[in-house]
Parts: sequence; C-alpha cells; structure tokens
Amino acid sequence: MIIRVTVNGTEFVRDVEPRTLLAYFLREHCGLTGTHVGCDSSSCGVCVVAIDGDRAVKSCTMFAVQADGHEITTVEGLAQGAALHPLQQAFWDCHGLQCGYCTPGMLMASYVLLKHHPNPSEPEIREALAGNLCRCTGYQNIITSVQQAAAEMSPQPVEA
Amino acid sequence: MTLIGTSVARPDARDKVTGAARYPADLVRPGMAHAKAIFAHRTHARIVRIDSTRARALPGVLAVLTAADVPYNRYGLISSDQEVLCSERVRYVGDRVALVVATNADVAAAGAALVEIEYEDLPAVTDPLAALLPGAPLVHPDLATNLLLHQPIRKGDVERGFAEADVILEGTFTTSWQEHAYLQPDAAVAYYEGDTLVVETAGQWLHEDRRQLAAIVGVSEDALIVRYAKIGGAFGGREDLSVQTLAALATWKLKRPTVLVWNREEAIVGHHKRHPFHITTRWGAKRDGTIIAVETRSVADGGAYASTSIEVLKCAAIFAHGPYRVPNVATDAYVTYTNNVPSGAFRGFGTPQAHWAAESMITRIANALEIDPIDIRRKNLYREGDTEATRSVLPPGVSALPVLERCAAEARARFEPRPPADSSSTKRRGLGIASGIKNVGYSFGYPDQSTATVELIGSARIERAVVRIGVADVGQGVSLILRQIVAEKLELPLRSVAIVHEDSAQAPNGGSASASRLTFMAGRAVHAAAAAAQANFNARTGTSATVQFRPKPTTAIDRITGEGDPNYCYGYVAQAVEVEVDITTGLTQVLRIISVHDVGRAINRQQVEGQIEGCLAQAVGYALTENFVSREGAILTPHFSTYLLPTTLDMPTEIYPIIMELADPQGPYGARGMSEMPLVPFAPAVAAAIYDATGAWVNDLPMTPERILDAIDAARERLTTAAAAAVP
Repeated sequence: MIIRVTVNGTEFVRDVEPRTLLAYFLREHCGLTGTHVGCDSSSCGVCVVAIDGDRAVKSCTMFAVQADGHEITTVEGLAQGAALHPLQQAFWDCHGLQCGYCTPGMLMASYVLLKHHPNPSEPEIREALAGNLCRCTGYQNIITSVQQAAAEMSPQPVEA
Repeated sequence: MTLIGTSVARPDARDKVTGAARYPADLVRPGMAHAKAIFAHRTHARIVRIDSTRARALPGVLAVLTAADVPYNRYGLISSDQEVLCSERVRYVGDRVALVVATNADVAAAGAALVEIEYEDLPAVTDPLAALLPGAPLVHPDLATNLLLHQPIRKGDVERGFAEADVILEGTFTTSWQEHAYLQPDAAVAYYEGDTLVVETAGQWLHEDRRQLAAIVGVSEDALIVRYAKIGGAFGGREDLSVQTLAALATWKLKRPTVLVWNREEAIVGHHKRHPFHITTRWGAKRDGTIIAVETRSVADGGAYASTSIEVLKCAAIFAHGPYRVPNVATDAYVTYTNNVPSGAFRGFGTPQAHWAAESMITRIANALEIDPIDIRRKNLYREGDTEATRSVLPPGVSALPVLERCAAEARARFEPRPPADSSSTKRRGLGIASGIKNVGYSFGYPDQSTATVELIGSARIERAVVRIGVADVGQGVSLILRQIVAEKLELPLRSVAIVHEDSAQAPNGGSASASRLTFMAGRAVHAAAAAAQANFNARTGTSATVQFRPKPTTAIDRITGEGDPNYCYGYVAQAVEVEVDITTGLTQVLRIISVHDVGRAINRQQVEGQIEGCLAQAVGYALTENFVSREGAILTPHFSTYLLPTTLDMPTEIYPIIMELADPQGPYGARGMSEMPLVPFAPAVAAAIYDATGAWVNDLPMTPERILDAIDAARERLTTAAAAAVP
C-alpha cells in the first residue's frame, strides 16, 4: 500500500507491503542505514527513532504503514548540516560510544528524553535509556554524555 | 610530545554519531543475491536426504547449496573440524546444512522453507562429564573419543602439602555458557573485483579469516581479500568464522555478489560461547594463611567443534590456583566434545572460570582461619621472580601486590565507614574483594607476531606518515591508539598520521584482536616500523619500512607435567564491590565497584577507562543476569528477551576505574594489555560480597535470584541444624 512518511524533513511516498517494519522501511526504502537492527524482539533499542519529534519508538516493532502521515526523525536528521547536535557532540567528547552500533538508538532515545525533560536527573536518564542495550561502554559515559548535552542545550541564565 | 596518555577523542566517532558509519549489513547494494542458511535444529543426527527440488523451482531462487558444493569443506581456528555445510552428520542445533541463494531476502527465506531434509536422530551427549564416560555417544566418531584435551599440571607434592596443612577446604563450582551479544548481528557481503573474491564483514583477524576462507573456496590467499566494515563489537565472538564462509561460498559458486545477514536468533544459535566449567578443588593452608597445596579437577564443555577449546583449557589450568604462589599444585583439566553449542574465545579466555573457583576458595580459607581476605591475598600473591605452577619464572613486571594494595586503600577510602545494618529491611549489604591474573598475548609456544609498515612523506622533513597494519577495530579504538604511538614516535601531530588497517591486501598481518594483545603487540610493531622508517628517511624518494615484532618466545607446556614457559606478559587486577541482596527475593544489585588495573601505561586514558567500564558490564552480566539455558542441546535463550544483558538500571551508579602505570618492560611506552582483566575476578568478588551480606556462598554462575535464595536457605538450615545439635 502507498504511504507518505516525512523522514528528517523529506517526504517519502512509497508502495510498501503491509508487513514491512518501520526499521526496514527506513533502511531499505529511504536508504537511511543509521537506524540499526539488533534483536528483532524489541529488546535492544538500536532501532529507536523519534515520531513527530516527541515520541521514541523501537522501529523494529512498528509497521511502516503505522507511520503513514507522520514525521520521523532518525540519527541522520540530528545534525544541522556540518554542525552536530549537542547530543552527538557530547557522545563524541565524553567517549559515549565504542563500537557505535547502539549509538543511533541511544541518541534518539536521549533526544526525546531531553524534549520532555531538559534537565533530567541521573536516575531519569537511566530510566529513559533502560530499553537501550550497550555491550561496550557500561553506560557510564553514555549517562555523562546526556548530562553534558542537557547542560549545553539548557538556556543560559540571562545576566541582569 | 604529550600524545601518550592523552585522552584524544575517537576520530571514528563522527561517523558513528551521524549514522554514516557502515556496518556489514549496511553494505547491501541493489542487485545483490541474498542467502539464507538452513540450520539443523537437531542435537545430533545423520543427514539421510536433502531434497531441494521444490525450493529450486521457486521463482527467484538462484541456487540451493549443500556440502557437495564446497571445494574444501573444513575450517576452524586451530583444528579444521567444522564443515561449512554439513555432509553426513549434524552435531549441534546450530550446524548449517544448506544455503538458499535468491534474488531477494524474502524469496531466500521462502525457498529455505521448501528444502526438505530428512534426518535420523542419533544418541546425543550434552553433559561434559557423561561425555568422558566409556560408551558415551561420540561427537566425532573418527576421533574415537570425546576428549579434546586433558592437561595435567604437577608441581611439588600435593599430598605432603595437605598433610602439613592446618585447614583443608573443598569446593565444587560450576559456570555456564556466556553469549557475546555483540549488538551487530553477524553479516557479510561478498563480491568479485576482477578475479579477486572480496569478503566484506566483521571479524577479529583479517589474515586468519583470509587463510580459512581461501582454503574453503580453493583459491590462493592472494586471490581473496577480507575487508572489515565497521565492527559492532566482538569480545572473542568473531574469532571463529560464521557467515563469512557462506557468503564467500555463494559468491564463488554463482559469480555474483551475495549478502548474508543473520537475525539475532541465528547469531546466538550460530556462533560459539564461553565455556561452561565444572570444577572441584581442594585447598590446604597453614594457620597463618599460607596456601600450601591446591588440587583441582575441572571439566569444560567444548561443544560440537574444537574452536579454541584447547587453548582456553590450558589458560584455565595454569590459573586453577589463581594469582598465588603455591608450592604444591596438582591440576587435571579436561575439555570434551559434546552435542552442545561450541565453546570458544570470550573476553577472559578461561580465566574467569578458573578464578570463580580459586578466588571463592581463598576467601573461604580466610574466613575459616579468621584472617582478613585482603591479608590472605597479601600473603600469597605472586611476587617478582616467583615461579608459576608450570615451573617457569613469571614474566618481569609482577604487580599483583601493588594492585591489591591500591584496591584495599581505595576500598577503605570509599566504602568505609560502613553504615549500620537496618534489621527491619529485607535488604542486606555486603563487601567483597578479589584479585586476578591473565596473560596478554598468545601463549604456549605460539609464534606470536605483529607486522606493520610505516610510510613517510615529506620534502625537507617528515611531514606525514601512513601506517599499514591489519588489525580489527572492534570498537576498542585500536586504530587511534596505534596512530598515537606513531605520532609520538615521529613527533608529528596526530592528524598527520593516517592508518590503513581494514583490508588484508592493503596492510600486513598485525595479528588478532584478542588476548588483550593489540596495544602491546601492534603497538610495538608500529613503533618499530616508525623508528626504522625515520632512521632511513629520504625526502626525495620517500621512505617505507616494514617490521615484524616478536615478543619473548614462549614454550608449549608438557602434556604430562605442565612444565613450560607459557606466557610473555601478564595483566594484574584487583576489585572491590558492594552489593545489596534482598533476602526475600534473592534479587541482588551491585551498588559500587572499584576496579584497579596495572596497565603499564595508559596510551589513551579515556579509552582505558571505557574498556574497564564496558568490561565490567559484561562481568555484571556474567555474575548475575546472563543465564544462557541449553537443555539436551536445545538453546532456550536465543533472544535478548530471555538472555538478559545488564541495562542502565542493572549497572551500579558508582564505578571507579583505577589505572596504575607500572611500566611493563616489553610494552610500547610501558603499556600492557588490559581489556579482558575486569572480567577475570569480578564474579567471585560479587560472591564474596553476597556471602558478607547473607552468610551464604553461591557456587554456581550466574548467581540468579533463585540460586541466591537457595544458598540463603541452605545456610540457614546449616545454622539451625548446628544450633539444634548444640542443645544438650
């Protein structure tokens, strides 16, 4: 069936099989391989994307047709041209990744978290990322990265 | 120059945070054929008949390949005992029997469902102890035994040692499989560039992969290139070949580009695991805590194929008594074939299993003698110049004791004073400590080497350098480490040093990304090549130097006595942990970890800390959550919904990675390997903390809530019985 999905600001009109999962739609129909697939059972979170800017979903457990008419943000949509998003910069600076396979999902889950909670506490960050597995870092630097990005993004106090 | 020790940020991170990084499954191009492997899903069976008529009739199916299509149907890292596609017999559920190649993935899957395979089930053996009994079903009948290796080690006279002991304790311990769970499932693409077959994939050793793949398709190694895409973790799990063999075979046979991507279930069923061990051990000590005799019998489950089992077993054997100077040692270690999933390399390589028993035992000895667990370690830890159970002198740079002292000091500073226990709560807190040792680099007479080329470019002076060395950057960041070393040596800014490391045709053999060896071995190779090129620098012609680095040679250990000189370098670790146990549910949370490591020299401090923290997450899983279940050869935990990796909520919020830099005499700038060390003694440190909290020892890994509750109940029963017996 024909669906119309806006991905990172670009509209994709595609004829997809109803069983096509959103993750594979993004990877195969839109050519956006930054969204990874790791478990097929909604356990690992490497496929997390944002829907309508404010909801994090595991794109391996959502059908592409369910995204019809919606806006999807993937990891490829975070940077503004050459300027990295503060979360991307923070994951780089704070060594929040090693192999990098979980990173897109971590970034997108964190992106949605910061939309709702611009200054999350450490327990709130841990809670928000509990559905995202990382096998390399032990999470410590990922938490630090999100904290640094939150500090970077929060409005600076205006001097009197 | 100040590049050594500097936390230079990872240059590969930019692509990884933007989604531009390409992992193997991202390399699929239009027009590629898609392959689907058919797994046996039988524990042990004879293949009676394979009928692919219906599958081949399906539009879009290009071929159904079986054993008859494989030019050389044998592979393996040490023994070539595994078939690419099974010919007559399947030996475990993950054996591959046929490969369907089709125009797209859906057709390949549909075709696979149409292949009819008739099996005759054979008696299976899935218990390693039973596998050693006479009359047990044979996994490889041509070998006439299931025994892969029996490695004895004898030093001194254990009977005399036990006769002189004031206390003797015995314990039986088990460990289970551990799944690597690298997040990027196995995937490979293969294609031809001219007459050269190219396999693009993830792995741990380009040139070894090339050797095995070239043999399988019957071409010379020059006619095959292995290229690594970005690698989504490895941890030992990509040492054995998996999908690469099948993608290469399909492309060689059909002469068209092919891709094979495994899903998570296929990845878990299809590749090897950490060895389960069954260990019985007896320790004798003098009243002052001096350990004088250790006798151990351990049996490891090697699974259906040899993989690296014999080397894992030897590593477990030489550390059966932990990192301690023991005058009388008798060890008998066995590894057997069974019809279970194969066991092989996994971060720690036999040493976490050995330490599970040894570190638990030394704490129990300390408790029996009412000695502090730190004091008993202080008394018995290896010193410089000490002799191993193999009767060789330890490689110089023995830092077990300073590492323990630092850990003890950190624990005093961070864990004390301990808050008073709240008896109204069901939660109990406890502290545990453990020490560990593991080899860096290949052992037992293997001619370990690393070869690098450094090319220099410049007009009047050296302006740029290109480093060529075939090494796998599995995520650990070795490509940056090697650039830092060369930039330091040549006094160049980091940006002026490039590295080519992911193509077997473009870089010499740097050796495997395993045994914590690349910083040490590849570091020495690139340093030496840079020095050689620098010495001969000629601005007009340009300069290139290729150097092979070899460490101090090791020797095989004797098959009867274990005598030999097994290793050229060791890493030392000590850990202190605090846990909280809910005594009504058994649920246990690790609250704080201190992990102390002598890394010789931290080339990149941020990356060393990252290795420690990441390895600790795998250690928390090994100790508590990762319960790989196999019943009669069937894998019951083939998904992350049942095989539970630690999450952000399982990891403690307080982790203290402590780096000590006591220079290794052989390592580059004094560096020694460290990336496996946090896993080595962690589980027994947690067990000691659980004992401290509850008075109960757990003997089996992982320490699931059920096992912890059982242990608490058993400890309570013993107390009640003892109290009843005391009543006059």
